[in-house]
Amino acid sequence: MNLELTIGWLYPTLMSTYGDRGNVITIERRAQWRGYSVKVLPLDQNATADEIKSVDVIVGGGAQDRQQEIVMRDLQGAKAEAIREKIENGTPGVFTCGSPQLLGHYYEPGIGQRIEGLGILDLVSVHPGENTKRCIGNLVIEVTASRLAKDLEEMTGTKPYLVGFENHGGRTKLGKVEALGKVIYGLGNNGEDGTEGAFYQNAIATYSHGPLLPKNPFVADWLIQTALRLKYQQLITLQPLEDTLAMQARESMFKKLQVSPPKPTVLA
Amino acid sequence: MGNKIKLIDRVRLGFAVLVAKSVTFGVRSLRLGAASVLPGAIARRIEPRLLQLLSQQVKNGVIIIAGTNGKTTTALLLRTILENKGFRVCHNSTGANLENGLMTAFLESTNLVGTLDVDYAILEVDENIVPKVLTPLQPKAILCLNLFRDQLDRYGEVDTISKRWTKVIATLPPETVVIPNADDPTLSHLGQQLPQKVLFFGLNEPQHYLEAIPHAVDSIYCPRCGHSLDYQGVYLSHLGDFTCPSCGFTKSQPALVSSEWQQILVGLYNKYNTLAAATAAKELGVDENTIRNTINNFQAAFGRAEDLVIDGKRVRILLSKNPVGTNETIRVVTQSTDKTTLMVLNDRTPDGTDVSWIWDVDTEKLVERGGTLIVSGDRVYDMALRLRYSEKTPQSNINLIVEEDLKQAIATALEHTPPNETLHILPTYSAMLEVREVLTGRKIL
Ligand SMILES: [Zn+2]
Repeated sequence: MNLELTIGWLYPTLMSTYGDRGNVITIERRAQWRGYSVKVLPLDQNATADEIKSVDVIVGGGAQDRQQEIVMRDLQGAKAEAIREKIENGTPGVFTCGSPQLLGHYYEPGIGQRIEGLGILDLVSVHPGENTKRCIGNLVIEVTASRLAKDLEEMTGTKPYLVGFENHGGRTKLGKVEALGKVIYGLGNNGEDGTEGAFYQNAIATYSHGPLLPKNPFVADWLIQTALRLKYQQLITLQPLEDTLAMQARESMFKKLQVSPPKPTVLA
Repeated sequence: MGNKIKLIDRVRLGFAVLVAKSVTFGVRSLRLGAASVLPGAIARRIEPRLLQLLSQQVKNGVIIIAGTNGKTTTALLLRTILENKGFRVCHNSTGANLENGLMTAFLESTNLVGTLDVDYAILEVDENIVPKVLTPLQPKAILCLNLFRDQLDRYGEVDTISKRWTKVIATLPPETVVIPNADDPTLSHLGQQLPQKVLFFGLNEPQHYLEAIPHAVDSIYCPRCGHSLDYQGVYLSHLGDFTCPSCGFTKSQPALVSSEWQQILVGLYNKYNTLAAATAAKELGVDENTIRNTINNFQAAFGRAEDLVIDGKRVRILLSKNPVGTNETIRVVTQSTDKTTLMVLNDRTPDGTDVSWIWDVDTEKLVERGGTLIVSGDRVYDMALRLRYSEKTPQSNINLIVEEDLKQAIATALEHTPPNETLHILPTYSAMLEVREVLTGRKIL
């Protein structure tokens, strides 16, 4: 079977502040290397609701405050509904920095008006003001969102630790939505409650860029596998790839941060 | 101008300078480094208005050079032009561009009682402290080179920076000359809003347009109304010939016709640096002959398109510290026939601790042409992954060598370079200092 995968990239020029393109590239390459046909579809101001509905996996990045406003003005009506429908129906996605804020109820920037979000994720984000320090630095989290944690543990044979880098002014508070994980090193959603990111249906929201996927290739594979299962209505086993460099990158970061890497788990 | 200073100020100034100079002497004699920051820090403790008191003594005025890329090269060119005219110039030439670095540069040129005897001070200033230092420095001219996304972890975002600059520059005296890059929409807009004398610099050479707007682009929205800009063409990153279809905002006319000017060094970014310095020099009254002669005889600042010969092999160091700069240095490499490149990625404070920007660089262009790519630095594996993910097939098109140890990486890179080829080294800032130290056996900072 010739497998096809369409990656929808939310507003590539408006929302791509911190190397977020790396997440798109990682999914694209890992599918290409396995011989699938991959298409990257920019979901920008020219995109239609139907185009949004056609994608198999969604990637969203961060934005400057002004760009985020432009996006929210554009993401209305049928387009907003299309995104909502995709996420509610389990289309997998990875949303970094600005895009979780836009999927939440609202974002209050340091200066200027509150930007209303789509309210798909039960969370709010507030920038505490120009003079508050940004949350910057290396980030390690353990995935705790139960279904995702179980899937990733099955894939890797260890507790799933994600290695990334956070760089955000806004602070996020979760409502009823499940956190993506707990912070092992760094600050996470707000630097207070130890949570990082959110997980809803199959949407991963996180402050972790760096970007997230190159050093956590099993998450990229989970997104691909979930997308293919939804699209072809059957479990498609991904052939393993050579990931030595990613593993070395993780090891070197665990060492630098003096974080004990996760131990292999004994599966029942 | 020195006589304007009150006696009590002069005494405090003298004391601050004396202490600072002793620190410089101490640091150097203990071989702790070149003392480019500490003396300034100490003197400023003693006399907080030091920057103001010292800058008042500069005979013809202070020239500020700000922008993400090209500060050091532009400063060095302008300084050389002025020195060729016989002026004495003080300059923070080590690239230490925060407040203490500026202070230290002044202190270097003062005598023991705090008298500063120079005609011009050329100060490279970090974009984030521009608002803080303009009022005490009261510059004669301000060069605004460009605003790219650089070290965002320290600075926040491009929009915020330009707003802060505009606010402070507007409060300076009307005779201040502002020299912004006309091809950078944010800076063109900044220049158009100012009450001061504004001279733009920029390119009018469509033959240098890129085929497509690169991904590492920050500002393609109209800074005036937010509509997306129409580009007739892009020279590099978001620098180009643009108009806004909604409000009519358009690029300002540069003071010099770029096609009539030679450039220093290699790379289109150095054409911008040349034009910025030439525009400033002309405004300061330097004759065109001296400017053109200096341009023709110009040598690189360390690590900026600097050429060295090591063990009979040619080495070219191209500072690559952010996505725009790195896309340009990659353009230099891919336009050569040389097939060995060393990339060194560090994540220390002067580099910016956030290295995610490497994913905004079009490394695909480097990988597509094959050859040997050696990677090293604190974040060697991040760089290696970036290159690995630049390949569309599972089989690699390049000989990728990952070497944590920089010395070993340099040795390996030199080994792989044939005698008739040039080794290109693309380091971040702190990596560039280390590379130079390994290659020349000397520390510069
Ligand atoms: Zn406009």
